[in-house]
Amino acid sequence: MRQLIRIGKWTLLMFSTIVCHAQMKTVTGNVFDENGPLAGVNILVKNTLRGSLSDINGAYSISASTGETLVFSYIGFQTSEHEIGDSTTINVTLQSEVTALEEAVVTALGILREKKSLGYATQEVKGEAITIVKTQNFINSLSGRVAGLDIRTSGTLGGSVNVVIRGNNSIAGDNQALFVINGVPINNDTGNTGQQRRGGGGFDYGNAASDINPEDIETINVLKGAAATALYGSRASNGVIMITTKKGSKQAGIGISFSSSVTLGNVDKSTLPVYQKKYGAGYGPYYDGPGNYFGLFDINGDGQDDLTTVFTEDASYGAAFDPNLLIYQWNSLYPGLDTYLEPTPWIGAKNDPNYVWNTSATVINSLAFEGANEQGSFRVGLTNFLQDGNLPNSELKRNTIDFSATHKLANNLNASGNITFTKTDGKGRYGTGYDGNNEMISYRQYWQVNIDLKEQESAYFRTRENATWNPSAPDNTVPIYANNSYWTFYENYSTDTRNRVFGNFTLDYQINDWLKVLGRFTLDTYDELREERTAVGSVQIPGYTRRNRNISEYNYDLILNFNKTFTEKWSVLGTLGFNLRRNEWNTLTARTEDGLLLPKLYSLDNSIGPVSTNEYEAVKMVDGLYAQASLGYKFLAYIEGTYRRDRSSTLPKNNNTYDYWSVTGSLIFSQLLKSDWLSFGKLRVNYGVVGNDTDPYRIIDTYNIITPPFNGGLASNPGIKNNLNLRPEEQRNWEIGLEVLLFDRRFGLDLSYYDNRNIDQITQVPVSNSTGFQSAILNAGTIENKGWEIQLSATPIKLKDFNWDLQLNWAKNKSQVVELLNGIENLEISFFQEGGTLNATPGQPYGTIRGTNYVFNENGQPIVDEFGFYLVSDTSNEIIGDINPDWIAGLFNSFSYKNINLSFLLDMRKGGDLYSLDTYYGYSTGIYDFSAGDNELGNPIRDPVTNGPDSGGVLLQGVKEDGSINDIRADASTSENPFGWYGPSAQHIYDAGFIKLREVSLTYNFSEKLLDKLPFTQMSFSIIGRNLWIIDKNLPYSDPEAGISAGNIQGYQVGAYPAIKEMGVSLQMKF
Amino acid sequence: MKKIGAYLILLVIVISCTSDDRYESYNKDPKRPTIVEADLLFNSATKTLVERMTTPNINVNIFRLMAQQWATTTYPNESNYFLTGRTIPQNFWSGMYQNVLLDLTSAQEIVSKDDNLRSDKKTTQVAQAEILMIYAWQILVDTFGDIPYSEGLKATEFPLPKYDDAASIYVDLITRLDVAIANLNGAGFETDNLYFGDIGLWRKFATSLKLRLGIRLIDANSSLAQNVVESAYNLGVFDSNADNAQFKFLGISNPNPIWRDVVQSGRQDFVAANTMVDLMNDLNDPRLAVFFEDNLGAETYVGGIYGAINTYVNFSHLGTLILEPTYPACLIDYAEVSFNLAQAAQLGFAVGGSAEDYYNQGITASFEYWGVTNISDYLANPDVAWATAQGDWREKIGKQFWLAMYNRGFEGWTVWRQMDSPTLNPPELTERPVPTRYTYPVNEQNLNVQNWSAASAAIGGDSQTTKLFWDTQ
Repeated sequence: MRQLIRIGKWTLLMFSTIVCHAQMKTVTGNVFDENGPLAGVNILVKNTLRGSLSDINGAYSISASTGETLVFSYIGFQTSEHEIGDSTTINVTLQSEVTALEEAVVTALGILREKKSLGYATQEVKGEAITIVKTQNFINSLSGRVAGLDIRTSGTLGGSVNVVIRGNNSIAGDNQALFVINGVPINNDTGNTGQQRRGGGGFDYGNAASDINPEDIETINVLKGAAATALYGSRASNGVIMITTKKGSKQAGIGISFSSSVTLGNVDKSTLPVYQKKYGAGYGPYYDGPGNYFGLFDINGDGQDDLTTVFTEDASYGAAFDPNLLIYQWNSLYPGLDTYLEPTPWIGAKNDPNYVWNTSATVINSLAFEGANEQGSFRVGLTNFLQDGNLPNSELKRNTIDFSATHKLANNLNASGNITFTKTDGKGRYGTGYDGNNEMISYRQYWQVNIDLKEQESAYFRTRENATWNPSAPDNTVPIYANNSYWTFYENYSTDTRNRVFGNFTLDYQINDWLKVLGRFTLDTYDELREERTAVGSVQIPGYTRRNRNISEYNYDLILNFNKTFTEKWSVLGTLGFNLRRNEWNTLTARTEDGLLLPKLYSLDNSIGPVSTNEYEAVKMVDGLYAQASLGYKFLAYIEGTYRRDRSSTLPKNNNTYDYWSVTGSLIFSQLLKSDWLSFGKLRVNYGVVGNDTDPYRIIDTYNIITPPFNGGLASNPGIKNNLNLRPEEQRNWEIGLEVLLFDRRFGLDLSYYDNRNIDQITQVPVSNSTGFQSAILNAGTIENKGWEIQLSATPIKLKDFNWDLQLNWAKNKSQVVELLNGIENLEISFFQEGGTLNATPGQPYGTIRGTNYVFNENGQPIVDEFGFYLVSDTSNEIIGDINPDWIAGLFNSFSYKNINLSFLLDMRKGGDLYSLDTYYGYSTGIYDFSAGDNELGNPIRDPVTNGPDSGGVLLQGVKEDGSINDIRADASTSENPFGWYGPSAQHIYDAGFIKLREVSLTYNFSEKLLDKLPFTQMSFSIIGRNLWIIDKNLPYSDPEAGISAGNIQGYQVGAYPAIKEMGVSLQMKF
Repeated sequence: MKKIGAYLILLVIVISCTSDDRYESYNKDPKRPTIVEADLLFNSATKTLVERMTTPNINVNIFRLMAQQWATTTYPNESNYFLTGRTIPQNFWSGMYQNVLLDLTSAQEIVSKDDNLRSDKKTTQVAQAEILMIYAWQILVDTFGDIPYSEGLKATEFPLPKYDDAASIYVDLITRLDVAIANLNGAGFETDNLYFGDIGLWRKFATSLKLRLGIRLIDANSSLAQNVVESAYNLGVFDSNADNAQFKFLGISNPNPIWRDVVQSGRQDFVAANTMVDLMNDLNDPRLAVFFEDNLGAETYVGGIYGAINTYVNFSHLGTLILEPTYPACLIDYAEVSFNLAQAAQLGFAVGGSAEDYYNQGITASFEYWGVTNISDYLANPDVAWATAQGDWREKIGKQFWLAMYNRGFEGWTVWRQMDSPTLNPPELTERPVPTRYTYPVNEQNLNVQNWSAASAAIGGDSQTTKLFWDTQ
């Protein structure tokens, strides 16, 4: 109401102005910045002395005639000029002139600081960077945008994202960055099982941080080093991603904004297998019928054996296709099909497995209301997210309500709060790893290229049975190794639902002009239900598993802030605080055993055997006292120190307290130089120490009770040996950095070098199993990560109507395992199938891949044996790969012409290896195109090896055992070929580097002229694209980014999912 | 306002003073016991030991393929003796150390510390655990050669255990077994799924195990072998199938692992191996009808080509008897004891009978065990009869011992290793030699490399064809 009265007053004023200056008209309008109305903007009619100021609502009024130009200027903003046309309304949005380096940024504990005073590296990402090109999980949008931030996605629908800042600091612990929203630490567990993370199978339910709604994000600030995060305490030793959400801003009435986007995703073909089309089912000539490639069975019941496909054989080293040959294939076995008891021509499939990929659709609608006055502000954001996956029967839904408000309770006493509720529902998440629910295992490793997937699809829908191509026998259609894919999608699907509330409530009291006290409570709590089904009739034992997870965190903070300028020269800023944190975990997994009594009933009561359960209940408490003080001298030099003392319930009683500190210094040397070309220059240096604790239950040994009992109870030692003498671990970090802005701030550079040592780590150390344990909890080892980070920003072209901005982020991290506990020479982080392992070895980077290697001669050439196959090393501990990239980089370009903006982001990873089980098995089964190609003599490689010019087989690059160049053709006519599992593990190591066109957007901002005719104050329309083009990669048939899950186990592909190209449109409006 | 400040400070003090004891209590897992009764550990270790020896799971136990009792169908890696891909040695090793040996050690510690237990019961229970441990240790030595023994199972003290010499381990095991046998004089564990509290049978089990230890040494150390075998014989070994160390499974929730892997999985990974079927066809062996299924027609048995890719429907399937979920598994049986005594008798050890007697007794025990009749016809077959059967005593005993060890792959493979009989086939696809041991676990190369390399050198190379110390002929 008050707003209405105010608008009324202005309207009256407007009319009075018109009366006074009859020869001129009165131009009115509102001035905004990106956050809302802007008061005090100077408005001048160009080349005159007529001027005006905008009021608190950003409204202004001025007399001018058509053809004159209005100049809008305000300190800190770019001056804007507008010629007066016929309209009497001109609304203007001023662009901020402040560059990133001068802004206030949110630092540890939510303390707002001027960036120029900081002695450590932080990097900010604006909300719009992630809201224009929208993704399911906003973390994906950070890839390439922050130097030193390594984002790895798993490639599945809603799958988890691995977020590591400046390398892995912990050998076996958590290396994930901490997410904090408005001061609320957010749980980011995947809750994925250990088996899933190792690639052993299971669904990837994604990170919990994906509950953060990108639409509500104002800014993201990444705190990288120990000094930046020291105040946060132990948990932030992997860096922090600080998120600030949008708040209500002052404006006339209630501001309403609306945005909507629709994105369609299609599979990137360069990340899919290319199938051969020449030879059908079989592992080789090991069966019956012509060429020993077929089965013999009386299918049609005429008493005569018929030729059949070798149904059980999940490979394609069979008979060459011949359309004149009629074979009883899988489709002759199902009475519900038209082809029942009919032979069909022996031909390659029209629809290979790549047929399975649908177009995904993502629709995001978001509506926000906001308002503010002298007493307070509020904002309500509602977002609905819907995604249909690229595989059948998969979808994700998420609804978010975000509410934030501030209110002045009394003079000097303010209350503020923010609460977010999200409900996420997933269905048909993709199976991962080496598992029957991951159809990519079939498509990449074990397949018959005579199988038409479209026919499999219609067979499933016709029969609603598991009409598999892979029956146990002609008279027993129970699948032997592989389900009909559509049976997997529609019958063996998972569902999950998560209800989550997180928020904070703060009271702050300004005691006097330099002292403020703040009390804050934050919570993050969610309930989750994950259900997995295996239908009766599947390859796997039918069953139902449900997992209930209830995870909470509460924080109580009391913070005293002081900020005082003593003289003109000296200023002091500081914090004293206390934090109490309580984490609670409560999970229950229950599963049916030995099958289901009734089909299609997914309930624990339906179990044939006794239901098995697994419970986990834990509480962790950490309390901390901390202090921070910063001393500034004349805006020229700053020195800052922090100290924190923590006590954690996860450590032994006599070792449960630890303290740590940091010192930073910065010198703004541009103040001293005062040069024309140097707009800003700062040198910063810091040293920080952060202590860390561990997870609950690492101290006291316990036994496992095994169920079901066997004529009496069963108990066993657990695989992990706990440790009564555990000590807190420590991270030591120093960093030096340079920030400069040159040539009127058109060129900016932020350079960092860091050296980070994590010592005395609490590690679950795999130990020789002859100890009776798989691993032991030890204070073992030191990892060092050191590296360079470069952020370059530039505006190479700045014309009246045209602007080109670019930003380059580049980071090189070198990790080294410095030492392990006395005598331990290697730590196995994980083992891959078929002998590969992921390791931490002193003197080597964290994450070397070991396995069997080629046998090399003294010139480093691989040696082949008498059959022309590579010799394989006797030992399996040869280092054959390193998962760490040489460097990662992102290049962002933005071109603006008048109201049109075109931007794109290139994302690059140089080097880093991965081990592919997909090629280890898949290259053995003859499904890929090259396996049916010709050799250099022009003969099919599957032809027999002869000594003549008609020879098939392949000539491997290498030397014979006598040292001469290899001239022995290796037989490639069966699954025992030299491409797959016969070779060393090293043959399946690939360079995982890539260059990707990560994002493209073309945005049109509606001009004021157009907006005048519309009820909107702001409107833009964008065409957006994500992952449109993999410009370069070395990994064949797959996406080098595809992984299994977030966590320390990276560099392994097993049933990898392809990359998805997304294209769409996005509309943003403000009323 | 000042009051509020004071309250806040008070609050901080109160919270900080939350006692360390309360913090410590959060580290006590409410869902897991820190102490259990020894019976639970003993029961679990017994079951795990039996399961590890019985399972046909190719990730753990491919001994039936080592012995060429079974052949594989679609996936020939394991039948061609590629051991490291599925980390088979590692899985077998860790299961034995972790879920058998360590649990038995814990059970012994708990029993020894239990002041409420009568001393004879205490020594008996410790001895029962000891017997199973010795069984497991011997299996580990017979699988790998030198293994971590004196420094094994002591995670805190020896995170990187050294390997001990296999022959010395044997000597120590024999000594320990003698102590255990002497201590079997009270009531045993309540939960005893092998002999259900019959300590007399436990004694026979222990002496039969001692016999096995002795027999293993005949080529390496014949005087010790004789000493051990005769002492075992004099203590009284198994004298019927009723004495067998047999473990009865309960049904589909607690099934024989063969049922899990072969029946419940719905897979068709295995068929009869030609190695076994061909010999049995030659001998007209009536046990064929129990060992394998007549899916190819009455009395028609065809084995899959060992080490080839075989079409399931074209070859004889596994017999249905062993596919029952309740089918019992065996750690030592009367047939094995008999064939061991046959060897001893042949070498002139004083074991109260002739080689022929024990040879016939072994075959008879096997027929009885499998419920097969017509034993006299079979013994009369000139290719079977001791007097007329082909080859020297090693070949004769080896063949029949090996046949009798059907479904006990480890023993079948060990018969071949020790007696070099019968003749096994090189696997069809790769012709890789039949292994004489499992290679050490891959993770020993990565986690315990110095001790691993020392042991590898000591045994003559960590190869799957390195011969064990007792395998000298």
